[in-house]
Amino acid sequence: MTGDIVEAAKFIGAGLSMIGALGGGIGIGLSVHGALGGMARNPDTYGNLLTNMILGIAFSEAIAIYCLVIAFLMLFVL
Amino acid sequence: MKAKSKWRWGVNRWIVLLFIILGVFGAQYFPPIQPHIQVAPENISAQPLFTLPVIGSFYMTNTMVAIIISYILVLILGFSIKQALSKGDLIPKGITGAIEMVVEALYNMTESTAGKWAGTIFPYFMTIFLVVLTANWLELLPGVDSIGKIEESVHGTPLLVLIPGVLAAVVKGTGEAVQESGYLIVPYVRAASTDLNFTVALALISVVMTQVIGIKAQGFGYFSKFFNTRTLFTAPFFGAMDLMVSLLELISEFSKILSFAFRLFGNVFAGMVLLFLVGTMVPVFAQSFVVLFEVFIGLIQAIVFGMLTMIFMAQATKGHGEHEEEHTA
Repeated sequence: MTGDIVEAAKFIGAGLSMIGALGGGIGIGLSVHGALGGMARNPDTYGNLLTNMILGIAFSEAIAIYCLVIAFLMLFVL
Repeated sequence: MKAKSKWRWGVNRWIVLLFIILGVFGAQYFPPIQPHIQVAPENISAQPLFTLPVIGSFYMTNTMVAIIISYILVLILGFSIKQALSKGDLIPKGITGAIEMVVEALYNMTESTAGKWAGTIFPYFMTIFLVVLTANWLELLPGVDSIGKIEESVHGTPLLVLIPGVLAAVVKGTGEAVQESGYLIVPYVRAASTDLNFTVALALISVVMTQVIGIKAQGFGYFSKFFNTRTLFTAPFFGAMDLMVSLLELISEFSKILSFAFRLFGNVFAGMVLLFLVGTMVPVFAQSFVVLFEVFIGLIQAIVFGMLTMIFMAQATKGHGEHEEEHTA
């Protein structure tokens, strides 16, 4: 494999692996949907819901970040 | 309250405008270049500090400098709070008041999850939170990731010498044919959480101490969480299923190490790459928004790392069959 094809393959691979961030986006949207619905029904529990929403967002974001780590692995390490 | 100096609305916006105009002129005469990004931290000492026989040589890396700085900051914070508390004020002022607020909120969270083990679990939570917070926020100071030593490399760009022998800047190349040797900047300080050594070490500490606290709370019966042979002989089919589920729990403990490490690493490394690229592509003022976002992300990742450690430790102290009564709020 010549250097150019490897270079091109790196970029294509990094782009393909970022498709997995789609799942993270949908997950975050769903958890914020639930949190906002709860806050609208019961404004007293705002603080509690906000804390748990941030925790849930960090979890789904972590999965999207794993895809990003594979993309970085392809671009900057290998 | 009359002794306060009058604060005028209009001052800060003119200072920001001045900096933006300076930035426009600076970007005109010194166009920014994209720094060299790599996952592995770079060595800034020419000779290794020490060499171990099997493992190899240990250099001083730029992330190690950042880790040392963040530990010194946390220690200074601790000593200044001890100083302020020994004066005996009932209501602390200043930084001590802020830290007291944070400690109280996090301790209430710990107590509502862990119950009577909160005293053992809380130091781990708070230490991990403070160390990761200072390590993440250190990346945002000006000078980190931009001031460094010049190294020759093929990927580099030409050099502009400002003070010979002391100060130089790396400027944009003219895009002609491949030069023999360009120069690049190896930063003296790089964000500590972009180093996989730091994040994997913290994750290992978290998970191993979770097991230790589980053994302290439940004795060696704690391992029945992983090899659940309790119902194996009384109800064979369900017993075998329980055994499979508990072996999966064992695998999930190892995946917790990876998940902790890569969550923190991915977030902060992605933030660093975003800062570099946005700073290169739009040199004026756009990087400020990314810095604001990074402040938020750094805080959230520190809280999540600490909170997950606390939750796993609290789960480890609870036995299999007991369900303790909930706190009444």
